Amino acid sequence: MSINSISEIEFGADLPAFEPDTSLSAGSEFADLVGWTGGRFSSHELAKKEGFPSAIIPGIMSQGYLIAMIHNWAPSAEIKKVDTIFRAPVLADEGHSITGVVTDIDEESSLVEVDLTVTNSKNETRVFGTATVYIP
Amino acid sequence: MLDVEALKEKYLNYEFDRTEFEIKPEDAIKFARLCGETGDRFLDANDPNFQAPNNYVTCLKGRGIPEGFPKIGVGMDAGQAVEVLTPIKPGTPLVGKTHLHEIYTKTGRSGRMIFLVTRIEFFDDKGTHLANSDSRIVFRERGDS
Repeated sequence: MSINSISEIEFGADLPAFEPDTSLSAGSEFADLVGWTGGRFSSHELAKKEGFPSAIIPGIMSQGYLIAMIHNWAPSAEIKKVDTIFRAPVLADEGHSITGVVTDIDEESSLVEVDLTVTNSKNETRVFGTATVYIP
Repeated sequence: MLDVEALKEKYLNYEFDRTEFEIKPEDAIKFARLCGETGDRFLDANDPNFQAPNNYVTCLKGRGIPEGFPKIGVGMDAGQAVEVLTPIKPGTPLVGKTHLHEIYTKTGRSGRMIFLVTRIEFFDDKGTHLANSDSRIVFRERGDS
């Protein structure tokens, strides 16, 4: 269900699950767009030569997934701040999911805080983020 | 071992880079699509509220570390924060002003880690402050530092 107003949000509510496109082609296209030319983003073989298990998704793309998840949940939401901690690489061509939970609601200022976690198929946390979001 | 207090005194909070940027509409749309945005304000250049993805500024970089800053070791990307003060319309000329915002340490079993937070403050051509982008880089301190 999409959120249209802060009055619809409950403390502790889970955001709808979000499965980002972590394919090698998407990560490689993104890295190329932002000018990150390292082989770690474009080739499993080159990434292994750099010591990674396989190609990885750029960190700021993972941050973009978190923001997109919030917009999918609340289409009119305006992101005020997102702080993202990269705990471990998000591996390309591996399935990941993102969960989110509402941790604070300030109806007076129409701001909510959301904790967001990117996990891999083994349920290991790869990226953790907190967002402050204005909901009209 | 590096004297972190001396580093703070010498390097924190002074601008060491100023770079001009402009976000192309087609790049903003591609960035948004690849991250999974579905709203017209991010995907349709004709939308009246068309804007760059909120964290697009994180890919706009000037110089990352001040000239003369000591070599600590190999840095790793530890995190990224973005603060949106006003949505950025693609095509707006931007100026990014960079300073070292924080220097702090954490000590674990494997030794001391030094964290540098580099902040780029983005302004439009009228001087309006639009966004901040913080890059957090962690260095494992070398024995000979």
